[in-house]
Amino acid sequence: MKRLAIIGGLVVAALAVAVYRAKLGAEDTQGRIEDLKAQVADEEKAIAGLRADEAVLTRPERIGGIAQQQLGLAPANPSQYTAAEALKQKLGEERTRLPAPGQPPETILPTPDPVKP
Amino acid sequence: MRAFAAPYEDVWGPRRARIVAGVLALIFVIIVGRSAYVAFNGPNRSALPIAKAEVARRGDIIDRKGELLATTVQGKSLAVDPSAIWDSRDVVAGIRSVFPDLSEDALTALMSDKKRQFAWVRRGLTDEQVKALKDTGVEGLVFAEEPQRVYPNGKLAGHFLGYTSIDGVGLEGAERIYNDQLRKGGAPLQLTLDASVQFVLEEELERAYADFDMKGAVGIVLEVNTGAVRAIASWPAIDPSKRGEEGNDAKTNRALNARMELGSIYKPLTVAAALEAGVLKPTDMFDTSKPVKIGAVTVRDLHPLPHATTVSVTDILAYSSNIGAADIAQRMGPVTQKTFLAKVGLLGGQPAVGPQWASPLVPAQWDATAMATVAYGHGLSVSPMAFVMTYLPFANGGEYLLPSFVEPVDPAKVERKRVMSAQTAATVLDMMRMTVLEGSGKNAEARGYEVAGKTGTAEKPTPNGYDPDRNITSFAAIFPASRPQYVVLVVLDEAQPRTGTQRTAAFTAAAIAGKVIARAAPLLDVRPVLEATATRAALPGADAAEARAQ
Repeated sequence: MKRLAIIGGLVVAALAVAVYRAKLGAEDTQGRIEDLKAQVADEEKAIAGLRADEAVLTRPERIGGIAQQQLGLAPANPSQYTAAEALKQKLGEERTRLPAPGQPPETILPTPDPVKP
Repeated sequence: MRAFAAPYEDVWGPRRARIVAGVLALIFVIIVGRSAYVAFNGPNRSALPIAKAEVARRGDIIDRKGELLATTVQGKSLAVDPSAIWDSRDVVAGIRSVFPDLSEDALTALMSDKKRQFAWVRRGLTDEQVKALKDTGVEGLVFAEEPQRVYPNGKLAGHFLGYTSIDGVGLEGAERIYNDQLRKGGAPLQLTLDASVQFVLEEELERAYADFDMKGAVGIVLEVNTGAVRAIASWPAIDPSKRGEEGNDAKTNRALNARMELGSIYKPLTVAAALEAGVLKPTDMFDTSKPVKIGAVTVRDLHPLPHATTVSVTDILAYSSNIGAADIAQRMGPVTQKTFLAKVGLLGGQPAVGPQWASPLVPAQWDATAMATVAYGHGLSVSPMAFVMTYLPFANGGEYLLPSFVEPVDPAKVERKRVMSAQTAATVLDMMRMTVLEGSGKNAEARGYEVAGKTGTAEKPTPNGYDPDRNITSFAAIFPASRPQYVVLVVLDEAQPRTGTQRTAAFTAAAIAGKVIARAAPLLDVRPVLEATATRAALPGADAAEARAQ
């Protein structure tokens, strides 16, 4: 009986320790989660700052100026548009003046043979 | 003696020992129990706030393509700890070297209150200001981190975006209107605005100032099938980060909050109302050669039309005849006219949510005089926003709809109200196309984008009548005319050309509208049409005009 009581006591003590350790472990995990959340929040703040920087750098007036001054780009002109059907024809004309892929620039593709009846 | 002879027998000993042991055991049990209780039920360490859940970061505002228009970043603000300051003169001098606008007396008084440990000096510092303050090396400065609302695009859409207080509470514009949503954080508020189109519109209004000495300007671009507002600008622009520090001229968002008599851009509405009422046929001809007296007003044409005795409805619009418009109004009468204008929202009516615009100033009595003047855009003051909506029916087959400011806009869910037949809409649209091809709107033509529209020039009303030296010039446009996609309104307030003397809409607002359309159309994915799609021969009244020409 006495032995049983001692064993029971030890089991209870062991269980108590186990529960305590589990609780401590959970608390540590929770703490790590909170730390990570704080890190995420910090990163989000940093991202917000970077996005704001990006927006400043890509604002239309800045990009427009750079595109115009350094790349010589300009707003699209209606004459630069063409219908899909006309594009096919235009491409055909262009191809006769363009080098074949992989060929030096001076190589000119021959004009396609006319379709024989 | 026996008691002394006999060895001492402590009969209480074992019992006392048991009692002491029992008490000790009890104390031990209580301690262990309490420890266990604390261990298992005590406060959770993780529940102790590391940084007590921060107030939700104010939501971003983005345009329809996701471009950032307003965001919140961690910024620094300057505070002081007066209790830690030994020599306040040094600190005041140091702070004023960076912020000379701060009062020396006020700062000194602040520093002298040694009971205080914290007091704000300047909030929302720039990085340069922080560095400059640190470089002063003075004591007692506190750099507190706090959220700061920033507008990366500067003045872009400044009037519409509005601004917040230093504490992040929306005070004006979208920041105020959508404050509750923004304060919750989460997903950004996506506006229907297109930052690129907004930029083009604002830049053209700014450039207009180089050509015209003007008091103010408005530009609006709307998508015709949904009422989605792609750009809305009021010039002079404001920088939201300045939180309303601009002068009074810039403070008003003219697009929404100003009321104006917009002049002849009303004439297409007059024609549409009469066509709908069945009192006008597109082929009808008018005699506009003589002034006409209607009610108490004598209506004149400032520039008499060629062949004024036989003028088609198309020419009344193309050459902007006040006499012709008043004649048309007279056919339908004031009640029909008023009913039609009410249908297209010019006599009031606001959406329940979202941005609101100024209520109209309507004639006290809608009699013959009011009817005649309203026919050509006088006597009824409305906001540019209210007016631009009236051109949507011409562009979408006859349906009036309210503007949308926030994405997503589902065309199937947009509330529509038929205010004219598709035929009437198409007829008036053709007439407006002819106004641009041959009439007063020539300067608005943007090659490839088939601009249809109408000019409006209105002298400004004063307590002593209309002022011939100050006017509002406007141009309302639809493009492309053969498959309308967008409506554009440009209004210039007191535009006075810096060179030349022409200050009618044909030379001011129409030209600006044309430039806006030419630049905005590619950004809005409107493909140009390079072949002409409208000719005078195709328009109502063409036979008579041809006969007249011969």
